[in-house]
Amino acid sequence: MTLDLSLSTQQSLSTRQSLDLLPTRPRSLETVDKSNRLKSTSLGGKMVAEYWDNIFTAKERGKHVVWYNGTALNPIFQAAGLEWCHGEAFSARLAAMHLEGPAQQAGEEYGYIGELCSYARTHLGCAVMTQKGITEKQSGIVGMVDQDELASKLPSPDFFVNAYAGCSTGQQWDAMTYRVFGKDFPIFNVSLPMIWGNKKDSGYLRGTEWEKTPLYVEEQLKKLIEFIEYQTKRPFDWGALSENMSYIKRASELRLEAMALCAAAPTPATYWDWVASIAPINFLPANQMLVDYFQAVKDEITQRIVDNVSAVQNERYRVYFDGIMNWNKLGFLTRKFAEYDVAVVAGRYTHDSFWQEPQLIDLDRPLLGMAQHYLICPINHGLKIMEELLIKRCDEFGIDGIAFHSTRTCRAMTNPQHILARTAERDRGIKTFSFEGDVADASFYKDESLESGLVAMLESIDQQRAKV
Amino acid sequence: MDELDSAAFSVLEAIASNPMGYAADWKRRAGRPVVGSFPMNFPSEIVHAAGALPVIVQESRTPITEGRSLLPEFYCSYTRSVADQAAVGELDVFDAFVLADHCVQLLGAADVIRWAKPETPMHFAQFISSMDDPWSGAQVRDKVASLRVEVEEILDVTIAPEALSASIRAFNKNRHLLRQFYELRKTGRLRVSASQLQVLVKSSMVMEINEHNELLEGLLAGLDPHSHAPDSLVRLHLSGHFCAPPRPELLDLIEECGVLVVNDDLYHGTRYISTDVPEEGDPFDALATWYLDRNISAPCGTRVQRNVDWDTYLVDSLESSGADGVITLMAKFCEPLMLYYPELRKALDTRDIPVLLIETEHEGLAAESVRTRVETFVERIRRQKLKVPSLA
Repeated sequence: MTLDLSLSTQQSLSTRQSLDLLPTRPRSLETVDKSNRLKSTSLGGKMVAEYWDNIFTAKERGKHVVWYNGTALNPIFQAAGLEWCHGEAFSARLAAMHLEGPAQQAGEEYGYIGELCSYARTHLGCAVMTQKGITEKQSGIVGMVDQDELASKLPSPDFFVNAYAGCSTGQQWDAMTYRVFGKDFPIFNVSLPMIWGNKKDSGYLRGTEWEKTPLYVEEQLKKLIEFIEYQTKRPFDWGALSENMSYIKRASELRLEAMALCAAAPTPATYWDWVASIAPINFLPANQMLVDYFQAVKDEITQRIVDNVSAVQNERYRVYFDGIMNWNKLGFLTRKFAEYDVAVVAGRYTHDSFWQEPQLIDLDRPLLGMAQHYLICPINHGLKIMEELLIKRCDEFGIDGIAFHSTRTCRAMTNPQHILARTAERDRGIKTFSFEGDVADASFYKDESLESGLVAMLESIDQQRAKV
Repeated sequence: MDELDSAAFSVLEAIASNPMGYAADWKRRAGRPVVGSFPMNFPSEIVHAAGALPVIVQESRTPITEGRSLLPEFYCSYTRSVADQAAVGELDVFDAFVLADHCVQLLGAADVIRWAKPETPMHFAQFISSMDDPWSGAQVRDKVASLRVEVEEILDVTIAPEALSASIRAFNKNRHLLRQFYELRKTGRLRVSASQLQVLVKSSMVMEINEHNELLEGLLAGLDPHSHAPDSLVRLHLSGHFCAPPRPELLDLIEECGVLVVNDDLYHGTRYISTDVPEEGDPFDALATWYLDRNISAPCGTRVQRNVDWDTYLVDSLESSGADGVITLMAKFCEPLMLYYPELRKALDTRDIPVLLIETEHEGLAAESVRTRVETFVERIRRQKLKVPSLA
């Protein structure tokens, strides 16, 4: 048999792979974005950008600068007239802007291994770069390349304060930053014990452990204020602290009221909107603008309910997000989940953090309420309390499934996830899946792990519904 | 290297390799409870004084199976092994668990135990990890007091101060005996391998302390140190490796490369035996003092303290032992060591002291790859000592 090769030759020529480096099959990004993010949160982005721009000029304005990590001590710093740089917040910002590379490289060159907490690695890299900047300035040579990098813009600290709940790495991280700067600046440690649940009466906001521990922390906060007074050579303004806490209390109430509105189905806002609102509640100055921000968020959500506008087109699944945020992927994950008709309604990081019990704030005794909030950081509990909170949130928001972000370098947040998944299935029949990623290191994100896990979980939920 | 009395040593070796077997046997013999504790700062004396056997839970050599679905893979080998042991029932011998160290990974493992064995008491007396704050001493004293109450309640006994003082003396004696081996090793005159010394320390973490003291005294009496240290070997310091012992075969491999290990700051080594509990005054307060003193005797990356530095301590140790270089053994995913390592390296680099980092894992040892790296490291030190001129 003779084969006519002419056609096949022709075909092979037309289908032959190009030798140039352009992709032979351009990837389509035409997937419809089914997410509908709140418009009001964009103001938060502007407020955050202005906050950091202000920080970068702190030294020029003759301000004292404190570097701190962990819990939200900023109302104290604000009352003391300080400028405050929250290490994790800055690492998160760099990652969200995809500018974490130079800081992480500086950290790597200094010797930090890639499996170390990427918040810490990024921030320590910033410290190395800032320290290098100081050295160069002292020697009269300023590295212009470094100066152009956002990561090296942090003003050097006048002192450090550490108050890290739950994660042992948090305290050690600042001890290392202190050493990177050659121990030239003083450091103050607030020690926050775990609410571990030693006693049978232990639970969320209850039990003897809960009653005793905040008093111990409150005393340390008083010592912190003495330390700040010594550093600034100024008496502390207690009235300003109460005023700051009044704004925070009101902002927190509005945030929680707005979150509660998201129990509606379809939800008017998602977890991603609350992620976008973390920075304002966590470290921006306490003032009327903060209250106005959360009032605007609540108003928009209320209006959406009136107008029957949902945060995800065709919401079919309501999912809870457990794990710390993957800051490199905020927009991407928002669209990704929505693509599968999934509304991520709530999460441990957003809903069990950040002044989440405003009724504890007593303006006449602000330090106690602050101490209590520092202790209810969502990584500062034993397993029993975390199980209690997870089930509570699942019930509140009508959760169908849980996405566990197995955050590679955050041992604190991933700590109980395997057992929490079993608890959700056992107590509520809630399906779960786990995907790999990281807080500030994009290299750990595995898209296939997310996609296959999510699809499998949604199929399980469909089957479960079909049985009902 | 085999200068230890083989009969006594083999007893210790068997116990070090099977701690649970020893604990179960002791429980049968003594008819008293066994209490598990965790590294690296728990004062075992308080459990001993209550009449129970304190055992520091060790990393198991068995592969991790059930534990894989209870703790993430990016936890250190020790904590994953502990979770696995809890899941497969290897920790059933314990009547209670106690711990004092705030390590996020360790607490994850402890929560797995609470989940797997809900009927077994678990008390966390969280000792403050910031060591030099004005309130540090009072906080530790308060935690020791709560620990006392809890241990008494769990074991249904009263811990008499006299009993605690006796236990303190027994543990101090044990540390003293072990330090004698380490001092002899430092001179290079005692030819006992690093893995053999590890057996001595590890077995002391598991055994009834007076029983262990008897065996150590027998071993010490039988020693016949050489008159001088060997000249041909490179003297090294082993650093790092908190909580769990490095694999004995890794230690043997290092010493096969022309190395004489003369000192270490390993937890299953100098760090564990560095500090005695004061024998004067209130014995409960003495335990608090011991905790604070330990980070001065042997500073640790898991504690924070402004006025002591592990790097300075390491450099001083090298001067006293005459070590030519340092091998840092890092258990993969150990965050305190990952954080502190650059400071150690910086201090050593500044003084031109060679350092080699070796990462360890629960399963597997790339023996030939490690051998090549250690041999190269040793060769580098030899050349440095000979001051061989570089072509560059």
